[in-house]
Amino acid sequence: MRFGRLTCFLAGCLALSATAMGQAAAVAPKPGGATPATTTESNGEKPLSTRIVAYAIDAKLDPKKHTIDATETLEYLNLTGQPQQTFPFHLYLNAFQPQSTFMTEVHRSGTRGNGPGSAWDPLHKGAIDISHLEADGVDLTDKIQFIHPDDDNAQDKTVFQVTLPKPVAPGATVKFSFTFHDLLPEVVERTGYMHDFDMVGQWFPKVGVWWKNAWNCHQFHASTEFFADFGTFDVKITLPKNEVVGAGGDLVDRHDNPDGSMTLHYWSQDVHDFSWAASPSFTRVEDSWTGSGQPVRIVVLISPGNMPSAQRYVQALKGSLTMFDKWYGPYPYDRITLIDPPHGGSDAGGMEYPTLITGDTTWNMPKNILLPEIVTEHEFGHQYWYGMVATNEFEEAWLDEGINSYTEVKVMDALYGKNSFMNFPFAQLSEDGAERAMYLATPDSDPISRLGWKFYSNNSYGSITYGKTATVLLTLEKVIGEDTLREALHTYFMRYRFTHPTGTDFIKTVEEVSGRDLKWYFDQAVYGTQVMDYSVANAHSDLLKWWEPSIGSNPKDEVYRTYVSVKREGDFVFPVDVVVKFDDGSTAAEHWDGQERWTRFQYDRKAKVVSAEIDPQNQVTIDRNFFNNSYTLNADARATHKMRNIFVFASEWVSQLLAWLT
Amino acid sequence: MAAARPKTFLSGAQLTWKWQRLVWWVYVVCFILAMFAARGSVDRLAEALDHSVAAQRLVNGFDASAIASLSTLPDAPLQTSYTGSSYFAVIFLVFMLFSTGGILATYVRDEFPSTSVFFEACGYHFWRFFRLMLYLVVALIPVAIVAGIGGAMYNSLDDKMISPFPAVHVFEGTSIVVLFLLMVVRLWFDMAQVIAVFEDEKRMHKALRLAAVVVAKNFFSLFWLYFRISFIGWLLFALGLHVWMMKLAPTSNVLAFIVSQLMILFWIGTRMWQRASEALWYRDYRATQEAMQPVWTPAPTPVIEPAAVPIGPVTT
Repeated sequence: MRFGRLTCFLAGCLALSATAMGQAAAVAPKPGGATPATTTESNGEKPLSTRIVAYAIDAKLDPKKHTIDATETLEYLNLTGQPQQTFPFHLYLNAFQPQSTFMTEVHRSGTRGNGPGSAWDPLHKGAIDISHLEADGVDLTDKIQFIHPDDDNAQDKTVFQVTLPKPVAPGATVKFSFTFHDLLPEVVERTGYMHDFDMVGQWFPKVGVWWKNAWNCHQFHASTEFFADFGTFDVKITLPKNEVVGAGGDLVDRHDNPDGSMTLHYWSQDVHDFSWAASPSFTRVEDSWTGSGQPVRIVVLISPGNMPSAQRYVQALKGSLTMFDKWYGPYPYDRITLIDPPHGGSDAGGMEYPTLITGDTTWNMPKNILLPEIVTEHEFGHQYWYGMVATNEFEEAWLDEGINSYTEVKVMDALYGKNSFMNFPFAQLSEDGAERAMYLATPDSDPISRLGWKFYSNNSYGSITYGKTATVLLTLEKVIGEDTLREALHTYFMRYRFTHPTGTDFIKTVEEVSGRDLKWYFDQAVYGTQVMDYSVANAHSDLLKWWEPSIGSNPKDEVYRTYVSVKREGDFVFPVDVVVKFDDGSTAAEHWDGQERWTRFQYDRKAKVVSAEIDPQNQVTIDRNFFNNSYTLNADARATHKMRNIFVFASEWVSQLLAWLT
Repeated sequence: MAAARPKTFLSGAQLTWKWQRLVWWVYVVCFILAMFAARGSVDRLAEALDHSVAAQRLVNGFDASAIASLSTLPDAPLQTSYTGSSYFAVIFLVFMLFSTGGILATYVRDEFPSTSVFFEACGYHFWRFFRLMLYLVVALIPVAIVAGIGGAMYNSLDDKMISPFPAVHVFEGTSIVVLFLLMVVRLWFDMAQVIAVFEDEKRMHKALRLAAVVVAKNFFSLFWLYFRISFIGWLLFALGLHVWMMKLAPTSNVLAFIVSQLMILFWIGTRMWQRASEALWYRDYRATQEAMQPVWTPAPTPVIEPAAVPIGPVTT
């Protein structure tokens, strides 16, 4: 590997600091006392993050009614640099009501679990009701004011704000106390219940983020996720003893109650969310992993019927921990929990929370389809891109989903080989192929940088945020090199973990590490909707002295003029390599900047052209059409024959099925 | 009562083999229609693939993402294949409606008619079999209801149980029941067609009634005959699919073509085998019925002897 000297220097500095951080990350769980500790903990260890929030929640789950009654104390440390008197809060569970912005958008464009135009199912109702709110002892229940900063939907109750009687001075702490009641929906989008399974995410009043000199507290939209500050979570959960619980925190105490219930006490620090799941039907599988930092306890909770996937989950987690530790930075927590939703509950699957993820599988998942592994890797990757590098998922979803999709390709290829998505003798699908296919579904409706709720449709959101970003970064490897991009991601992670970076921060890091000005690339790839498509329009050879009749002498003495025309069919300008092959075995390599709409290469040789190919290494993944990237003079119809076989057989088979009626 | 003796099972195979030109004829028509159905898409694909190095993704393996990207291209080379297959499948359906009469007539008579007679038989029975097909659609309604009930049970269990297996077992059970019912319905209508040809029955409701009686009285033997041949057909198809998908090298287009076409040929062959066996079975059944009944003999003609004519008065 060759790095620039600056990169080496940065890598060295970061390696030293990573070692120190890795040692600092081995913090024992510290329960009790919801006091934000932003400088030094009482045990003398430095927190990993700037702990702005300290939540203490006492919750009781009713698994029959799927409700939660809870009290919450939030201590908010005002590090905004300004006095703050008005505070916004998220109430995400209120999105699961028909008049909410979330459900309105789902009905219009669909989402993970629902197609557009879906009828309202009353079982999908969810709600969070605050019965009491006070701040520093002052009752503010009547001061709760629902706001809708993103649209004009006055019926949306996913954000409220409250104004305190007195502002909170910079550097001071305000203590909010809530009493609230949750109604979990039958799972439709991440959170909810299915049978006796309860997935409890985004379930408590959560304060917005002071960001870019203003409060950032968006409504919950069909295609957006979450954004919150780092801090601590001290959570007690009371529920029946037969429930098996997985949570995004360390279990520090268990207490059996006289009424037959139990109270589990969890502690989590340097995270920005706390979620948990419970089911009496879980089977617990445990393992451990040790990397450059402390040992990590792996807990997988498997739903009935899915036991064959248990070890697949575990191995995928271990592999992901290894690769992320090796490539991007240490995993600082002492645990990772994977929740396997039951059948029918897959809408709760494929989701990430700090130190807790949800998987996705079926009872009959074939070994050749690596869905459990892919989902596990992807959701684990979010521990880095979202969990620690806590970007604003509302406004720049590509920074977590897109970067994570790119690292998913790299990690899955490293762990499972090239065709890691699907690998049958009769059909294969690689990770990068899958991301590219996702992108090509709707390649030009929206730029990557679009605000999450402003995409044309949920399909476009997924296609662009996941597929296009991954494809853009795969193509970026061609520009700066795969190793440099990996180093850039490592630098980005180490520099911005436990903070809220922006897309500009990411791009600047890449430019810094690569030593290149990449504005020309990112302007098109991230901020534009240009689609790339280069083609070999023409390649042919004629006798140089075409006006003279051939005298039939040795053809090897004949000189041919070869023309190769290359066109830029799309609007994305990108430099490409072109390789021309001749029938005497020689080749010519060209490099075209792609600025004009077309260019023509000319050769005078005693040989005729055999083929011309753009990007023979297949590195420009973002090109929408690989098939026109080359032209061979001799036709090779084998692919066409194969497709004809399939089409003819399929038609015959359909005919036979229909002929059953005769 | 006639039984589906091993002889019928094998005789049907022999009959199918003997008149294998019928199998080949049906197969060739199916193949030609499929070629027409695929032609539009294949021509468009050829433009994209034949001179492209990227086509190797489909030659040396089968890159699903390459197919996905082909389907997103503006000129949509994959689109026409779906509608084309549907249209030509309907044409094949009409062809089979037309041909079945001639095919059954050949099997029933066990002699190959001349071409004109064959097609005359095809046309003669066409509208009868068209009406029968409409009756079949009606007969499938109860099967659809059973499938619907099974589906509702599946959904209900799936909603209520955290384990997937009860619902899966219901699905499996329902599938077996529905498959069984479909086979019974098909068998019933097959026999109705045989009766229509054998007895020259013009009234399809009567043919159906007679067929129902025959099938009911001889259910196990007939169903076993039908099922065995179906099973062989499924087995051959599954074997062919396994060889094609799992064993052949990705580059072996010729072998893939041969295997795939053999699958279709054997599928048609086993279906014809069923028709031949049913025809033979019914012919034996009718022969048995006629043998069991006493041969009717006309009543003896009464001999009328002339009465004696007295010569004179009778004295004592």
